[in-house]
Amino acid sequence: MTAYTKQQVLLQATDVCLNYRDTPVLHDINFTIKNIMRPGVEQGQVVSLLGRSGVGKTQLFRLLAGLQQPTSGSIIIDGNKQVQAGDMGVVFQHYYLFEWKTIYQSLRMATSQNPVLKGNEKEAIEKWAAAFDITACLHKYPQQLSGGQRQRASIMQQLLKGSKFLLFDEPFSGLDVCVLDKVVDMLLQVSVADELNTLIIVSHDIETSVAISDTVYILGKEEGGSTIKKEIDLIERDLAWHKDVRRHKAFADTLDEIKASL
Amino acid sequence: MKKIFQPFAVINSQTFIIMALLQVVLALVLWHTTSNGLMPQPGKVAAALVHLSTTKLLIDNVLVSLVLTLKAMLYAIIITLFFAYLSVLPFFRSIAEFIVKCRYLTLAGLIFVFTLLTQNGSALKLWLLIFGIVPFFVTSFLSVIVHIHQQEYDLCKTLGYSNWRTLYEVIIVGKADKVLEILQQNFAIAWLMITMVEGLNMSEGGIGALLIKYNKYNDLTNVLALQLVIFLLGLFFDALLTIMRRWLFPYTTLATK
Repeated sequence: MTAYTKQQVLLQATDVCLNYRDTPVLHDINFTIKNIMRPGVEQGQVVSLLGRSGVGKTQLFRLLAGLQQPTSGSIIIDGNKQVQAGDMGVVFQHYYLFEWKTIYQSLRMATSQNPVLKGNEKEAIEKWAAAFDITACLHKYPQQLSGGQRQRASIMQQLLKGSKFLLFDEPFSGLDVCVLDKVVDMLLQVSVADELNTLIIVSHDIETSVAISDTVYILGKEEGGSTIKKEIDLIERDLAWHKDVRRHKAFADTLDEIKASL
Repeated sequence: MKKIFQPFAVINSQTFIIMALLQVVLALVLWHTTSNGLMPQPGKVAAALVHLSTTKLLIDNVLVSLVLTLKAMLYAIIITLFFAYLSVLPFFRSIAEFIVKCRYLTLAGLIFVFTLLTQNGSALKLWLLIFGIVPFFVTSFLSVIVHIHQQEYDLCKTLGYSNWRTLYEVIIVGKADKVLEILQQNFAIAWLMITMVEGLNMSEGGIGALLIKYNKYNDLTNVLALQLVIFLLGLFFDALLTIMRRWLFPYTTLATK
């Protein structure tokens, strides 16, 4: 097994509940994301929140993004900060970008929010655009981009904003096999770009999510609303950080276990 | 040939133009053959139009109407944008909603009120026209705001923007193209009202006043010629606004890949 240690807490969700009027949607959501250290590797964290359609994944996504406040409980980042809109990089399903802005203008919106890039916004955009292979698209509108280019631009926008947390809502939904592989590669690339980069993937695509994650949380329905029914530490099972993990028998067994838990 | 009578059939633009031209010709032939003594034939209307267009009378009156309409449209759009943008503030939402409901008020019943409130006939016409247009403008623009996708606001919030910056980016900048679209859609309403309000103060002229004058003497040939002028001017402004929208907001015409 690869050597690793789990250090400081990066995100702590404690007793998170969400009600719509009197109907409980989520209850007692508790989980922790810790900084994973691997010798010689800038290893970020990749956490998947899995669940069936209608289980409340989108609501949990909005709570984590700070777009909505929980009815009770707390989501704390950086030790003591209650998460608010703007704290996390959020990549929406279908990779939404403003249709009335060119990609460059959209990226400038993000860099203007990042104090670290002050004065170097243009250079940062050019550097990341080259890394993400979208230099040729910078002065185009989103409608002129292919699905893959749009998705890269969307992820890049959130990265340029400077947040170490990146939330993805159904990033694998509706992608063909080739694009799916590229998305997976890109997420892995982002996860090892910085020690503190933390990717939280909310998805119902079990196989792809498990293949790139180090931890999986399974969201399931109970009487008083949905909650996290199970946590699977994929590092402990030696299923994290392997390119060919899908070939392992333990991987298939884990998928079966997750399916049975849903 | 069979295709043009099939539901959802797609025809090329050349076929469409030929078909439309044939329909116009057919309509003119029908008009020509069914016209009796009271109804002027299309040739007579065309001759009246040619005659009118060479006179200073038509140009002067069209200019009066155009200036009034454009002035009213300008004021109306300023008032509309003010209330529509601020409608996202709870205090202004009720005011915007009230303006929308004002569509059900008729101008005829308010003429005296406006006469008391304005200083002269020119101002009366202008403000009646503005009052007539604004509820339709506000209705259209509020509908645009209501139908903004939540993701547009969410994207701004996730970028850490304040509510005021979100209002600016999503509604003011993001929907600027819609302002021209609404102008285009509602220009017809303004153009329709002009004939009515110009009838209130005929001394200043205008195409509406001219129309009422010809109508009074049952001069149908000139009435129809004027209607044709109003129709063609409407089409011209419609095309002009389309071109302006494409030029100012190129993304509105981009095809999604």
